[in-house]
Amino acid sequence: MIVLLTGLLSTAVLAGGVLALAAQGEVLAERVGVVDLGVEGLMALGAATAVLVDMKTVNPWLGLLAAMAVGSAGGAVFALATVIMRASQILCGLAMTFLGLGLSATIGHSVAGMPVAATFAPVAIPVLRDIPVIGPAFFGQNLLVIPIYVLLPAVCQWMLFHTRHGLNLRAVGENPAAADAVGIPVTKFRFLYVVIGAALAGGAGAYLSLAVTPSWSEGMVSGRGWIAVALVIFAGWRPFNAAGAGLLFGLVSAIGYLGQAQNWPIAAPVLNMLPYLGTLAFIIVPVVLWKKMRRLMAAPAALGVPYDRSER
Amino acid sequence: MKGHGLLTRRHLLAGVGAGIGCGLLPAQAAPGQTRFAPLAEEEALIAFGHVGPITDGGWTTAHELGIQKMKRVFPKLRTIYVETVPYSADATRIFRQFVAEGAQMVIATSNYGDFIKDVADRAPDVAFLECDGTRVTDNLGWYYITHWYASYIIGVAAGLMTKTNRLGYVGTFPVPSVIASANATLLGAQSVNPACTMNVISINSWFDPQAATQAASALADSGCDFLCGITDDPAYLRVAQARGLKAAMWNLDMRRFGPDSYVSSVVLDFSHFYIEQVRARLTGQWKAAGTFLTLGHGVDRDVWGATVPPEIAARADAVRDRILAGETPFRGPIRDASGRIRVAAGEIMDDQAIYQWDWAVQGMTGLV
Repeated sequence: MIVLLTGLLSTAVLAGGVLALAAQGEVLAERVGVVDLGVEGLMALGAATAVLVDMKTVNPWLGLLAAMAVGSAGGAVFALATVIMRASQILCGLAMTFLGLGLSATIGHSVAGMPVAATFAPVAIPVLRDIPVIGPAFFGQNLLVIPIYVLLPAVCQWMLFHTRHGLNLRAVGENPAAADAVGIPVTKFRFLYVVIGAALAGGAGAYLSLAVTPSWSEGMVSGRGWIAVALVIFAGWRPFNAAGAGLLFGLVSAIGYLGQAQNWPIAAPVLNMLPYLGTLAFIIVPVVLWKKMRRLMAAPAALGVPYDRSER
Repeated sequence: MKGHGLLTRRHLLAGVGAGIGCGLLPAQAAPGQTRFAPLAEEEALIAFGHVGPITDGGWTTAHELGIQKMKRVFPKLRTIYVETVPYSADATRIFRQFVAEGAQMVIATSNYGDFIKDVADRAPDVAFLECDGTRVTDNLGWYYITHWYASYIIGVAAGLMTKTNRLGYVGTFPVPSVIASANATLLGAQSVNPACTMNVISINSWFDPQAATQAASALADSGCDFLCGITDDPAYLRVAQARGLKAAMWNLDMRRFGPDSYVSSVVLDFSHFYIEQVRARLTGQWKAAGTFLTLGHGVDRDVWGATVPPEIAARADAVRDRILAGETPFRGPIRDASGRIRVAAGEIMDDQAIYQWDWAVQGMTGLV
């Protein structure tokens, strides 16, 4: 039983990290009022770049850095179109997704299907690793697990809710006109956090191709970018919730596979549906049962609306 | 659309012109020949539609390797290909495009059903081949590998190597080729170790390394110590390597992804078939037919991995020799998962029956 639980949690932590990281980036972008639907494409681009650089340098950290750099470049293009030119965020996001998927397939063609030179290999952290169940899952895997689940959400949470900078940031997402009136540079804020969010999406791709799979192949992101966007809603645009949502989603999908392996008397297609059924349930149930949730978990008021000072 | 080698757009356009020119010439079918007129090597254009990218490291790469070998035999032959042809009306458009460009032979490396048959029916002078197809018309044939014999041989090794008597199978969809693969492996294992059972997890994709990784981990956590499957990528071999288990793969030699775990692979080699088919088309002898590539002629077990003890390899290879000598291991009684006898004692399942296998054998869970 302990073996099963440990395995279950380990798989969930490993797989959920991709979603947790991508969702964290999307939280930041949406907090300043920009929906970035390009996550799927940025992840693919990051995954391919990471493997390319990893093959050349034999260093996964450089691969991760390169993926984040390419992610930010993609984010900058997206921000240029949506924040500065005020084009439709939905359309530009979709374009970004298709661009990223196509471009990643092209640049990654030479390394597709090949084993990567260096991966984020499991490292056991002394003492903590020996805690039953939780130890091997969180402290016996690759070194990115703790940053993804603890450090990054902690920094974001603190920044968003305990600093003036975070207050300004949220103001930009809630009411850019008011923020502008008190002298907050709306365009700068939006541009910066869209780029940071895109960098994290690129990083999520690198995590997928260097720690989880590890290798690059066309189509390997297979919709996880979209799930990350959905998780942001489920997480109520909160950093720790986003990390938790990634883990929960990883857990539910891992349970589906474990159910098949353990021959639970549930049809395989139903078990495969679990993550999606779970998402539906997690979003609907609290809102229906608990009225207060609606206000607590509300989206930034100006989400998806381009800000034009002259229309203030 | 991409050409092999140095095929440029200009060449392609020249090819279109040449193709139209050819079409205008009256067919000169000599007695004893088919209506597919002989072709000079340099004026032939062969088009390939692939289900995935040629770099997938699995199924499509195996086809691409066969095509490259074929091109060494016919160096003046021109080929074109399209990767990742979707199973949709887009496939029809792509195959029609091949015909419009003057291809005299179109080969789809996966099943496209009506999407390819519609095009074939409207282009009676073009030879069509469909891998994993089922229908034969005047100008559309199919080919497939009898991978179940290789799976059975690997199953024998699996039955001798497992300590927990539980095999894990990373499946894709419950379709006959997957069912035949899993059944054959388990029957092979049970032939030497009757206590063997097999757990199958279907990941609903031919290619999703992350899902395959999760499925393999779940199988390992549940006590399976020998993993096999039918996915295009080596994800579950990596899991086996990381956890000290054994694994048998598909398509190609994948031992570099998990040298300590690699047992063998159902390796595919389409080169001889492609050479033979292209030669038949060039000489005007091509006829549409359904072809099974048999053990040793297009499909086989891979050279055994370093982890396989020599005596186990020898026992599995003895089974291989008997199959090559014409004996079939798919002989009744074979029971289904509920214990009912489906193939009576002494009765034989022939390749056609295995090609359409739609039930799981005894000891199998999760397959259908």
